[in-house]
Amino acid sequence: MNKYLTVFRTSFKQEKDAIINTLLRAVSFVLIIYIFLQLWGYIYGEGGSGTIIKGYNMGQMIWYLIITELITMSAKVNTIVRTVSNEIKSGSISYKLNKPYNYLFYCISSSMAKSCMSLIFMLPVAVIMGIVFVGLPSTFVWYQILPCLLALLGSIFISWSLYSIVGLIAFWVQDAFPFYWIVSKVFMLLGLFFPIEFYPAWLQPIIKYSPIYSMMSGPATLVANFSWWGFLEIFLSQLIWGILVILLGLLVYRLGKRKVAANGG
Amino acid sequence: MAVRKNLALIFKYLKLNIQKEYQYKTSFFLQILMMIANNSFFIIQWLIIFSVTDSLGGYGFNEVLLLWGISAGMYGVGHLFFGGAYHIGDLVYEGKLDVFLTQPKNVLINLICSQSSISAIGDILYVFVVLIIINATWWWYLAIIPVCIIGGLIYVSIVVCFQSLSFYIKRGNAVADMISTAITLFANYPPVIFNMFTKVILFTIIPVGFIIFVPAQYIFLGFNLWWILGMVGFAIFLCGLAFLLFKLGLRKYNSSNLMGGRV
Repeated sequence: MNKYLTVFRTSFKQEKDAIINTLLRAVSFVLIIYIFLQLWGYIYGEGGSGTIIKGYNMGQMIWYLIITELITMSAKVNTIVRTVSNEIKSGSISYKLNKPYNYLFYCISSSMAKSCMSLIFMLPVAVIMGIVFVGLPSTFVWYQILPCLLALLGSIFISWSLYSIVGLIAFWVQDAFPFYWIVSKVFMLLGLFFPIEFYPAWLQPIIKYSPIYSMMSGPATLVANFSWWGFLEIFLSQLIWGILVILLGLLVYRLGKRKVAANGG
Repeated sequence: MAVRKNLALIFKYLKLNIQKEYQYKTSFFLQILMMIANNSFFIIQWLIIFSVTDSLGGYGFNEVLLLWGISAGMYGVGHLFFGGAYHIGDLVYEGKLDVFLTQPKNVLINLICSQSSISAIGDILYVFVVLIIINATWWWYLAIIPVCIIGGLIYVSIVVCFQSLSFYIKRGNAVADMISTAITLFANYPPVIFNMFTKVILFTIIPVGFIIFVPAQYIFLGFNLWWILGMVGFAIFLCGLAFLLFKLGLRKYNSSNLMGGRV
């Protein structure tokens, strides 16, 4: 465990140097939320003030979008897919396979550090944006801060674990990036843009029992509409999916390692 | 004559770049197909939005999809024909422009055509997928081609203008990346949702107005010759500006004396 904490600390320090990139992502973050604000402002505006759509008022909707976008921006999952995929493609992974650590856990702890650094920067941006654009969520209570933060960290951990598996697909195909596009778009459509209540009734239980709920919808709904029952639901969902995804990742990694030998590494 | 030579160079580069990528056939076709699938996912986003509202200021599902089609087209043209434009800053920062300076061709065209993104073919094909979905009339299939070319030229020109900042400031390409991202973000939403301040930005620094909104509104959904001429004029002006800013910036370029060759 200690070696993965060391990887985490080293990557965290390295990420401090990439401050310009983080700053630019923050600008993109503000732009995206600004567009959503204009879009939903127009839709809610047509129905007059006090409009509720599928159980969400304008403020809750924007907070939902801010949190899902915050998770996407902080997780930066494309980097893990690119790193794993490129290392497998170029064969440079062979230098890491003989080190005294598990490559999958190495990638996850290194990436989590980058995300935490990003989250430290992005979280204040998200909170300020939410307060300036729509004020605090109507259901806000101060003691929801800690459970919401835990849910955010849990969602980022599952994101990294899951996308590292996508990167490992490169063991079988030359480039795992096209798979990343598809997986990320499915998650985006079923979690990022809309709360679960916006989807057809038959789709809602599928989303709720999928990792999408643990990664996006759950934590965002918790911030927009907090309840302890909701927190418990999300905590359990993240715990179960966290274990399942790690086990699946280890299996894929174990199978994929054999392919490196076949390629000559 | 010079125009014909440069056009020949652009297509020659495209052919070589495609041939280079085609050696990995699975990856080649996978990238194209996945990009079409990737773009198609957003159709669902708009189906959900239009399940809670009938239209957005006159823009219904088909009209929004048309915006997506034009947006994918301009992005496709920009990244397929002129993929090198997005890497000018990196080359300047690393002092790797020398190899382009010694060749007997226009430096900017030579540089921006040197790379192609194969997934951009998927973006271009997606334009026609969109037209089929919205059951477009026959002339839309023809008119969309010049619209995407002009849009692509505006997009690439604005990227080159901002990438040229790299000649003056360290990591100037970061600003260009920012503008490029902003263009793709704003391009997919109906203009009616934006307030006046945003619209001014969208017709100047982030010229989505000329790339997407003008052709959608004044070629496909209505007709206004002056706006169309304005779009063409803006494209010509921006292309000229890109050449000028790149040329001015090039005077500030410092080589890193790297040995390099292009095969």
